[in-house]
Amino acid sequence: MVDVYLAGVGGQGIITASRIIGDAAIIAGKSVLMSETHGMAQRGGSVVCTARIGDVHSALIPDGKADVVLSFEMLETMRALCAASEKTVVISSTDRMVPMSVTTGKLHYPTLDEVEAASKKVARAFVSIDTSKLAREAGTPLSSNVVMVGALAGTGTTGIDRRAYEKAVEANVPRMVGENLTAFGKGFDVTSMIFRRG
Amino acid sequence: MDRLLETPEGAKVLLLGNEAIARAALEAGVAVATTYPGTPASEIGDALARVAKDAGIYFEYSTNEIVATELAAASAISGVRAMTSMKHVGLNVAADALMTFAYTGTRGGFVLVTADDPSCHSSQNEQDNRYYALLAGLPLLEPSNPQECYEMTKEAFNLSEKVELPIIVRTTTRVSHIRGPVTVGKIVPGVKKKTFVKEPGRFVTVPAVARERHLVLLKQLSESEKLANESRFNVTYRIGKGGRNGIITSSAAFNYAIDAAEYAKADLDILKLGFSHPLPNRLVEDFLRTHDVVAVAEELEPILETAVRALAQQSSIETKIIGKADGLLPRAHEFNQAVVAGALDKAFGIKSDISKAPVLENLPARPPVLCAGCPHTATYYAVNKATGGKAIFASDIGCYSLGVGPPHRTADLLLCMGSSVGTAGGLAKVSDQPVIAFIGDSTFFHAGIPGLINAVHNGHRFLLIILDNRTTAMTGHQPHPGSSTGPSCCDITSVSIEEIVKACGVKWLKIVDPYDVASTTAAVKEGLTQRTVSVLIARRECALIAKKNKAGAIIRKEVIDSEVCTDCGTCTSKLQCPAISKTDEVMTIDETMCSGCSVCEQVCPSKAIKGAK
Repeated sequence: MVDVYLAGVGGQGIITASRIIGDAAIIAGKSVLMSETHGMAQRGGSVVCTARIGDVHSALIPDGKADVVLSFEMLETMRALCAASEKTVVISSTDRMVPMSVTTGKLHYPTLDEVEAASKKVARAFVSIDTSKLAREAGTPLSSNVVMVGALAGTGTTGIDRRAYEKAVEANVPRMVGENLTAFGKGFDVTSMIFRRG
Repeated sequence: MDRLLETPEGAKVLLLGNEAIARAALEAGVAVATTYPGTPASEIGDALARVAKDAGIYFEYSTNEIVATELAAASAISGVRAMTSMKHVGLNVAADALMTFAYTGTRGGFVLVTADDPSCHSSQNEQDNRYYALLAGLPLLEPSNPQECYEMTKEAFNLSEKVELPIIVRTTTRVSHIRGPVTVGKIVPGVKKKTFVKEPGRFVTVPAVARERHLVLLKQLSESEKLANESRFNVTYRIGKGGRNGIITSSAAFNYAIDAAEYAKADLDILKLGFSHPLPNRLVEDFLRTHDVVAVAEELEPILETAVRALAQQSSIETKIIGKADGLLPRAHEFNQAVVAGALDKAFGIKSDISKAPVLENLPARPPVLCAGCPHTATYYAVNKATGGKAIFASDIGCYSLGVGPPHRTADLLLCMGSSVGTAGGLAKVSDQPVIAFIGDSTFFHAGIPGLINAVHNGHRFLLIILDNRTTAMTGHQPHPGSSTGPSCCDITSVSIEEIVKACGVKWLKIVDPYDVASTTAAVKEGLTQRTVSVLIARRECALIAKKNKAGAIIRKEVIDSEVCTDCGTCTSKLQCPAISKTDEVMTIDETMCSGCSVCEQVCPSKAIKGAK
């Protein structure tokens, strides 16, 4: 059983990312259950999706039980830490979407150092990735979400092989498949360097 | 290739609960399917709209839920299989038809899917629609996951034909919006045409007929209870070694209960009711008699609990029954594993390591907001400029409800679909303040027109602003009667909003482009000076659709000249476009989000914002 908790902001392509993960699980012959956020929250609000790979009944992940927190936005990484515990790997994009309460000067937006410190306090490992930069390099500036899926695959925690993920990427992106596979590879390389070095 | 249609018999495919319902309907040979979109039910209709032509079925986005129900009901009464789907509050609109459809019953299989929304993820209330099964006297199926959505919907058509009644399939957000593997069967095209056989003594519910049909319905219900007792959807699960402790549960609550019990390595039995109304009395009695303590775990209202307690009293069973009446579980908001784990501890002393973790304090909240380039943002800005915050705002259901928050604060009252028009009349009657009602184009067609006729007829004085973004945006951009394209299967005719407004007898009508801030502001001011109800149509395509249509093309973007910007905050504090934010102490426009609408350029007092290619 592997629990992946996806967090971010409505419009960042989180549902597509979770579908790629789900399809990859099925391609790899595993069972999976996912919850998706549709409707009003998709209008720029905080969004959570889950993917529970293995045999389970509820698609929701109890607090602290996530194996991986995959967060597409730094502030949402902080909010998602309720899903993390000492077994969790936190992967955070360095993308920032500044909410109005911060722009109007009322509240503080966390720095990368603060996100890292808060994550390391509860989780086993923390990785930050400049997904927008990697997506631009891959030729698909809007494919930060595919970079994130690559980063999840690169950790080796899901027990799903790279080819299954790549097939799932091909099945879920309508355009620029080659560029998206490159974006996936860039995310994969970041975490596989860290988690598979030994 | 659409996986909904192409997945072959016996294959396992990852489907959303709602898509599984759509696939089941296709396999059951549905001929007619209808809906009015609403979260969390929308994807049922969206899936069927996509494949309708290839599947050879008739699908329509109806004007509202009661029309959707009437159309599908008549098809089923004629003898074909039909389905209608809606969100929970949609059934309030359809209830008038459904209550009497229960009396006439049906000849062809009829399934009504209602999707409840515990915790109001995307709704104005969290009513429990299982009550409609009790109220109308109809069999109720409650799936817990996508596989069950598929199996129960398919079986519901057979059940409907067996007892000749409409069947209610009730999901919740955490059933409809769960994606999981579904092993599908074969799509068998059903009968599409039938000659209508007249039977007025059954289908024309004048009092003499209705009195008799009520008795028939009670017989059909008693027959249904027998089927519930034998249903494969009512199952007992033994967790660990089982024992004298039990849980009776249904729907998503079952998922949390079994997860919580397994996390806790508990020994108990779970009676899961998938066919929950009429209550399978024999099954429940047997379960009660073989257990000492039984907890009832259901989200929202204590419906099963009340029925189980009544049954125990009636059958003199002394098993201890605990539930919401004892404070074991909450009556508001959705459950999760931690909520049910807490109940297992309270009821049986079963401990687990599942608990609620606190979210870090002082994090900036991120509520949903109107999108970058949203025409509603521009309209709201103009309205506030024109009224100086003095008006009362009757709002309605749609993206534009988000105007409630700062900076616009353009919502003071919101009840239900179409309520803006009716409530505006009431506000205007008892107040001397200016009154503005906001309604979206889809909502206007759905439930706004009778209110407008009423306002004209009874001389109510307010300004109705129809926020016409040419789509049903909030639920995923479904078409409505004003659209010029529809589902894959049908030719449609676009109905003109302004012609309806004129035909209702409205004397002052103007159409503006909200992206033109000055003209919109002037029109709002003029509209408010009228002595009768006046209508302003603010027409501009939804920014998300516009962006999609322009994908790949070079569009004009706005940029802020930081040398000229005085950091006055007008663009953020009065417009609040999410593409504009202060990053590293400088106001910037996110070019991937900017739609190039130019509204910020028009409102910037120091002319620091300019369009650029």
